Amino acid sequence: MSQVLSVKNLSISFGGLRAVDDLSFSIDRHEIYGLIGPNGAGKTTVFNCITQFYKPDTGEIRFTDQKGREHLLNGMPPHKIIGLGLVRTFQNTEIIRELPIIDNVLLGAHTEFKAGVLANMFAMPWARKQERELRKKAMEALKYCGLDQIANEYAGAQPYGVLKLIELARTLMCEPSLIILDEPAGGLNDAETERLTELIRGIARDHHCAILLVEHDMKLVMGLCHRICAISFGKKLAEGTAAEIQENALVQDAYLGKEDEA
Amino acid sequence: MRLIRNKYLQYLLVGVAFLLPVLLRGVPTATVTLAASMVYTAIAGLGINVLLGYSGQISLGHAAFMGLSAYLSAYLTKQLELPFILSVLIAVAAPLLIGLILGAIAVRLEGFYLAIATLGFGEILRQLFIEMDWFTGGFSGASATYPTIFGQTLTKNGMYTFMVCLLVVLMMLVHNLVHSSTGRAMIAMKSSRSAAMAMGVNVFQYKLISFAISSVFAGLAGVCYVHFFRHVDPTVWTAGLSLNLIALVVIGGAATVGGAVVGAVVMHGLPELMKEMPIIGEIPGLPLLIVGILMIIILIFYPRGLIFVPRGIIDSIKKRFGNAKKGEV
Ligand SMILES: Nc1ncnc2c1ncn2[C@@H]1O[C@H](COP(=O)(O)OP(=O)(O)OP(=O)(O)O)[C@@H](O)[C@H]1O
Ligand SMILES: [Mg+2]
Repeated sequence: MSQVLSVKNLSISFGGLRAVDDLSFSIDRHEIYGLIGPNGAGKTTVFNCITQFYKPDTGEIRFTDQKGREHLLNGMPPHKIIGLGLVRTFQNTEIIRELPIIDNVLLGAHTEFKAGVLANMFAMPWARKQERELRKKAMEALKYCGLDQIANEYAGAQPYGVLKLIELARTLMCEPSLIILDEPAGGLNDAETERLTELIRGIARDHHCAILLVEHDMKLVMGLCHRICAISFGKKLAEGTAAEIQENALVQDAYLGKEDEA
Repeated sequence: MRLIRNKYLQYLLVGVAFLLPVLLRGVPTATVTLAASMVYTAIAGLGINVLLGYSGQISLGHAAFMGLSAYLSAYLTKQLELPFILSVLIAVAAPLLIGLILGAIAVRLEGFYLAIATLGFGEILRQLFIEMDWFTGGFSGASATYPTIFGQTLTKNGMYTFMVCLLVVLMMLVHNLVHSSTGRAMIAMKSSRSAAMAMGVNVFQYKLISFAISSVFAGLAGVCYVHFFRHVDPTVWTAGLSLNLIALVVIGGAATVGGAVVGAVVMHGLPELMKEMPIIGEIPGLPLLIVGILMIIILIFYPRGLIFVPRGIIDSIKKRFGNAKKGEV
């Protein structure tokens, strides 16, 4: 099976702290892949390296787009990443609070907009038309995530669970081939998490994309992921199916012992 | 679509309101002069709102951009006798260019550093206005005339009308802009840099765009100034004026189209109103002091700006009568 993402020998240090240490893994097309590890293991840092928010010290990150072209992500400006079909969410949600929910989702289609400053200033009919079309698409994404009823409400007024869903809907606007989710169930209750699990599964299926997720909720991870990579102190401990990871002694030592508190 | 029409209508009504001093008979010319001050600061403020309110960037150098355009337009129309429209284009292209260069340097800076850098830049430009007296007339300044548009030389009222029309058009353009993908990207950049970058917004590019737009608006304001007051000297284009522009945006309502207009009206209008009052108006300095205190009090109750006062009052009336509807955030 062909790969959508390959991470090779990734390392990054902050001062003396080696946050990610010679980590390698790859994700297949349409795969749901989990990255787990205790707090501070370096999971978010891996995401930041992939999306070029951080510049890794060593290692190669390669991404294969929908058309099968391979891209070396190292050194790319972060705003160029989404155009390849690689889109992310944030652990603590990054939402534009002063915009309506639907405009937050429309931001996910930013690179699609053809109109420049002048065309937008003079509200050229073709620019308005594209805006309307993408707004329709955003509405569909919201509907998919169950938010269409509150599409025009301001994002800033929404509870945390809704913010998480807005971020998720926002990822659907760019025809992604890989969506990276940083703790999508963080702060959600059991019922919400259950719904989210189905939603993520549905997204992978309906949008024909792979998903890389970090999550502390083991039920979600074990139930959803085809393969899981466990890391601790930036190093890979084990990789495999849910059953393999659960049985792994190293993982149990480093991670699962602490899990019940998370 | 209906909403947009509605907004356009609102801006047109603002224009009509501004034109009352020239439409009504017997209004003293001092009133037109005061209103013209409101209009040219509103035009510059509109640009500052794009920069500050929508994009989250600060500049203390935009007053100097206004000055630059004012001098240029005076020079081009008077010394070189270029047609008004052409000289406006050149006069506005200059701050656009400089704004882009300043922006390209400034986008690497944030907050205080950006403020200091633009402050320094503005002061340098202002010193040049003083030094280059073949162009600016030095301390005594340069003079200009009422412009001639399509063979028609404007009167004072005509020039004022031209400024009001320009303001209305610019309000419409800003409205279009902030409700488009460009405006969304600016607001995103201000609100969450991370989200903006992850969603493909080139933060560098959008900071430049906001610098460019605000520079052009400052230039237009400068052109309006010089052809209305027909005189320009270097005392006007200080960092103090840049600060005033920021203040009027915040007081009127940052990140709203009408905010700069409300701010400009209040900041020019309130002191004049106070000066007309008995007793208060007779003690020098007191009117300004009272205006300052009033503004602080208003901002405590309406931190998002005066433009939200009517809505705030309506909301509290609704609450009073028990049919409180959940307002926008
Ligand atoms: N920008 C940074 N500067 C300095 N240290 C950092 C930076 N980003 C991350 N770190 C450090 O790197 C280590 C890994 O952090 P990271 O956020 O990747 O952990 P995580 O696995 O996502 O943890 P959690 O489950 O709590 O989200 C931590 O010790 C953190 O303090
Ligand atoms: Mg994390």
